[in-house]
Amino acid sequence: MIEVDQLSKSYGSTVAIEDVTFTVEPGEILGFLGPNGAGKTTTMRILTGYLPATQGTARVAGKDVHAESMAVRQNIGYLPETPPLYPEMTVEGFLRFVARIKGVSAGDLADRVSSAINRCNLNQKRTTIIRKLSKGFRQRVGIAQAIVHNPPVIVLDEPTVGLDPRQIIEVRNLIKSLAGEHTIILSTHILPEVSATCDRITIIKQGKIVATDSPEHLVGRLTGKDGYRLELRGEIDRCLSVLRTLPGVTAAEVLAADGLAEGRSRFQVTTGVEDLGSAIAARVVGQGLELFELSRNRASLEDVFIDLTMEDSASDTTLAADPETSNPEISNPEVLNPNTSDPDTSDLEASTEATADREEAQEENA
Amino acid sequence: MKTFFSNLLAIYRRELQSYFISPFAYVIAVVFWLIGGLFLVTILLSPQGLIAQVGAADQLGASPQAIDVPYEFLKIYLNLLGSLSMFILPMLSMGLYAEERKRGTLELLATSPLANWVVALGKLLGVVTFYSAMLLPLLIIQLVAFWSSEPTFPAAILLLGHFGLLLLAASVLALGMFISSLSDSTVLAAVMTFGVVLVLWVVDAIATALPDPIGPALRHLSLLAHYTDFTLGVFDSSGLILFLSYIVLGLFLTAQSVDTLRFQRS
Repeated sequence: MIEVDQLSKSYGSTVAIEDVTFTVEPGEILGFLGPNGAGKTTTMRILTGYLPATQGTARVAGKDVHAESMAVRQNIGYLPETPPLYPEMTVEGFLRFVARIKGVSAGDLADRVSSAINRCNLNQKRTTIIRKLSKGFRQRVGIAQAIVHNPPVIVLDEPTVGLDPRQIIEVRNLIKSLAGEHTIILSTHILPEVSATCDRITIIKQGKIVATDSPEHLVGRLTGKDGYRLELRGEIDRCLSVLRTLPGVTAAEVLAADGLAEGRSRFQVTTGVEDLGSAIAARVVGQGLELFELSRNRASLEDVFIDLTMEDSASDTTLAADPETSNPEISNPEVLNPNTSDPDTSDLEASTEATADREEAQEENA
Repeated sequence: MKTFFSNLLAIYRRELQSYFISPFAYVIAVVFWLIGGLFLVTILLSPQGLIAQVGAADQLGASPQAIDVPYEFLKIYLNLLGSLSMFILPMLSMGLYAEERKRGTLELLATSPLANWVVALGKLLGVVTFYSAMLLPLLIIQLVAFWSSEPTFPAAILLLGHFGLLLLAASVLALGMFISSLSDSTVLAAVMTFGVVLVLWVVDAIATALPDPIGPALRHLSLLAHYTDFTLGVFDSSGLILFLSYIVLGLFLTAQSVDTLRFQRS
């Protein structure tokens, strides 16, 4: 449905995206994931015909976005980062206007507008002036204007940004309900979003695609990262030696122990074999240490993302020189993912181990 | 062709609607009506007004030539309305594109199957219609005044004068629309439009100071000179062509400027 081939775009000497290649099958939801300034919006703007590409081609429903721009625009529904709304219009009036300029025929107009309003749950707000709507409703009107002409392809640029958790879930469900009959590309820098909604994920970093795969496969690439977290009471050195001598354990280290009761400490254990949990528990207890907590941390999508987007920023001097594309915040998982309450889901130390996997991934993509 | 008209109509209706529900547009209209009405009363009825002057001349019996009061009145009044419009029009045109850019709705228009110039034309028609609506009440009170004139004043002159005013307004609005498309600041657009319009308004004064080939050429561009022809009841095709040229130029530049936006760094 969407074929993007070696697309590049530069603004003057700044390269926004470089050799971006991906395809989206009909009915699929593709998540476009990347830190801020990675080139997500630029790619989407090229797809919708808003920006011309410097190089490469993009085809939507078999039509070139540049040469057959008008036909492509008719086949695409687009929600930019800030929903394009006229605050003085009513929801219904606005949607009628959008339907008209998107080329919906006069006979279908009322039907199309009603169905978009129903789809987006805007029935109570039909005659409300957009200025008076809350942020969540405005976002829904934004989605409604993207689907009002029933386009085969929908492009959504950060559709849930700035919404509260309940609204985020509503918007996600709405997006999922659109899949199947529509092909959807959505961009985000929020990780749970893609794992919750998307069939496939494309991770983009500094204008280049670093991985394209299903969420499960991406996580699967980082299996070497399995490990356990323990909370023990006992002398730290003794605890460490007990843990390290256990067969299958490749490393054990002390974690910050703030907020723990006197005498207790937290440990991170990295394992080389699967399902070592029961052995660890038996060993620790057998050695007379008191066990308070034992939990397994699996690689999450977040680890993959950080792993793929964070590495070699130090060696990559040309990219680091550009303040817009290099993103120092990325080393802080909290910033990446404000929705995760657990601050420790991403394990930065482990990312070096996965370098090999990552390089494989890049080769696959090339 | 059918989609062209339905697109044009959609843009036109939205633009027009935005004026009729905007308090800002009503404030401008009320100011225009107040000052326009004040001019009318002052020119006709004040102690120094036209009627009083003619009456005084009659009483003295010293009236060497007859004065055509309605004609004199129309000339003065249309000139005043023209000058007043120079202040009002930049405020009507300033938001045409600047507002769309600020709200991000330009991205909606630019990703819809619409040609840029169709959007520009629809917007221009919308704002010209709103200006016509502002002019209508003033035209009605003039008609009431002319009703009492004896012998009857030819309506054609009155209508031609207003047609000229409408052309003048459309030219200024077209240029203002282009300037509005250059930035996302409405205030900047208003100030720049006002500057450009002022220069075009007085360009014949500048022209007289310049040597031969440049001076007369510049004078042809003067809005005021050609508008004055219309207010005198003279229909000169060169005026019509000049105003239409300004309108087409404004539309063309707007379409180009919106197209260029896509090549800029967002």
